[in-house]
Amino acid sequence: MLNIFKRLWQVNWAEQWQYRANLIMYLLYWLVSPIIYLSVWTSIASAKGSVNGFTAGDFVNYYMILLVADQFTSNIVIHNFAYKIQDGSLSGELVRPIHPMLTNTLVNNLAFKALILVGFTPVWLILTLIFKPDFSGVTWQGVLLSIPAMLLGFIIGFLLSAAITSLAFWTTRVYSLHEFYYAVILLFSGQFVPLTLMPKIVQDIAQYLPFQLFMYYPIQLILGKLTTAQIIQGFVVGLVWLGLSILFFNFVWRRGVKQYSAVGA
Amino acid sequence: MHFLKLISTFLKVNIQMSLAYRADTLVNILLNIMWLGWELLGLSIIFNNTTTLGGWGIGELIALLGVFRLINTMMASIIWPNTEKFNQSIRDGSLDYTLLQPAPSMFLVTFSRITIWRMWDLLLSIVLIVAGVRMAGDVATPLNILTFLLLTVSGAIVLYSLWIVLIAFTFWFTKFDNNVTILQALLDAGRYPVSVYPAWVQIIVTYLVPIAVATTVPLQALRGDLSLGRVLIFLAVSVVAAWAASLVWKAGIQRYSGASS
Repeated sequence: MLNIFKRLWQVNWAEQWQYRANLIMYLLYWLVSPIIYLSVWTSIASAKGSVNGFTAGDFVNYYMILLVADQFTSNIVIHNFAYKIQDGSLSGELVRPIHPMLTNTLVNNLAFKALILVGFTPVWLILTLIFKPDFSGVTWQGVLLSIPAMLLGFIIGFLLSAAITSLAFWTTRVYSLHEFYYAVILLFSGQFVPLTLMPKIVQDIAQYLPFQLFMYYPIQLILGKLTTAQIIQGFVVGLVWLGLSILFFNFVWRRGVKQYSAVGA
Repeated sequence: MHFLKLISTFLKVNIQMSLAYRADTLVNILLNIMWLGWELLGLSIIFNNTTTLGGWGIGELIALLGVFRLINTMMASIIWPNTEKFNQSIRDGSLDYTLLQPAPSMFLVTFSRITIWRMWDLLLSIVLIVAGVRMAGDVATPLNILTFLLLTVSGAIVLYSLWIVLIAFTFWFTKFDNNVTILQALLDAGRYPVSVYPAWVQIIVTYLVPIAVATTVPLQALRGDLSLGRVLIFLAVSVVAAWAASLVWKAGIQRYSGASS
């Protein structure tokens, strides 16, 4: 099995490396919205002194760490898998004795991340020089705890995206549905604004959803802003969702593959 | 007359194409409404925490959202789909047929694809602008409204010209598939008044990729913040931009040698 992963890594890394010119473009997309939100909130906070306890500096710290957390927890499953169902090219992968989603697609995502990190690191360092975040509140415990949190966030996000992408077995086109899912993430992950500034009802719901593991929860862990009780609750909710997303993905995948009709192939 | 006829033919063709995907169209409209709801929710969260953003109140931000969506509609209904078609036609050489047709190639490349359902966004945009201006309580004089309309059009022309230049670069660098990404990525900055951004971002979105010229500036005119001199400068800039873009386009066409033929 290890050999299979090693070979898949070589193939997928070579494939991603071909597109290294696109890296700059991807980085541009990935930068714009956090910088917009950062600007909006720091401009409000510096006009008023603070927003609900957040100073301009706090917002800078939050969004600078958000850029990192987003890098680690996000995935590109829809871009890399949906078209295979649409044009029938998945057939070739289905006859192999390994799981297409949990081997090839997973490794492809990891190769993409590895490549992105190469471009991401210098850009992020330049941004820290421009925005001058204050990371004096960051603790080692927080950083260490954030690693399993982001790993959990990545796995759950990967399985949920994989399950939603697999709905293409029935509908062929799945991009609209994915756009809806993306809006849900935007609302509950803390991407737009730290969740504590959201309306109370959104905060209450977000606590029990997995999406805060993508951004808000690891960010606050790193910045050392969570109480012990909140940290434990976050991990418990995360583990429950890990179980649920495994079940959900398995359910959709098994039925989907039976449904698959290899369009166009 | 000639051009109107061509545009109405393009509209007809595109309506027929979109009728093939009726369910898709319906889902897209629903998603569009959802995003509008999200944008308004975002504004309400912002204004729960403050009374002004970059010196503007919530009414003005709603009007700005309307102007932004107007520009966004132009991009999503015409510019992006035609970019896709153009890049494809450079790759497979089908641009040959466009160039052979007895109409200006820039016109054909701009209007041959139109995403019809997006047009409904125009209506939403106008509702947002009117409602926003009313909420802001600004007294929009007829002159302000006129300059607002002129500057919206001229801002759109500036962005359109930039687009022509960007896609014309493909004639020189054939593998330049990402020709419009910078425009697409930065467009979102138009949602908020340019005064909220750090100085270096302001410079980028005002001079380099002048999204602010099509969003913040027209709204400033509506509020009566712009002097006549500045209005004239912005109008002149759009004329120069359009002229320069058509020159670049012509030079690009000269270089085009066709693919695979």
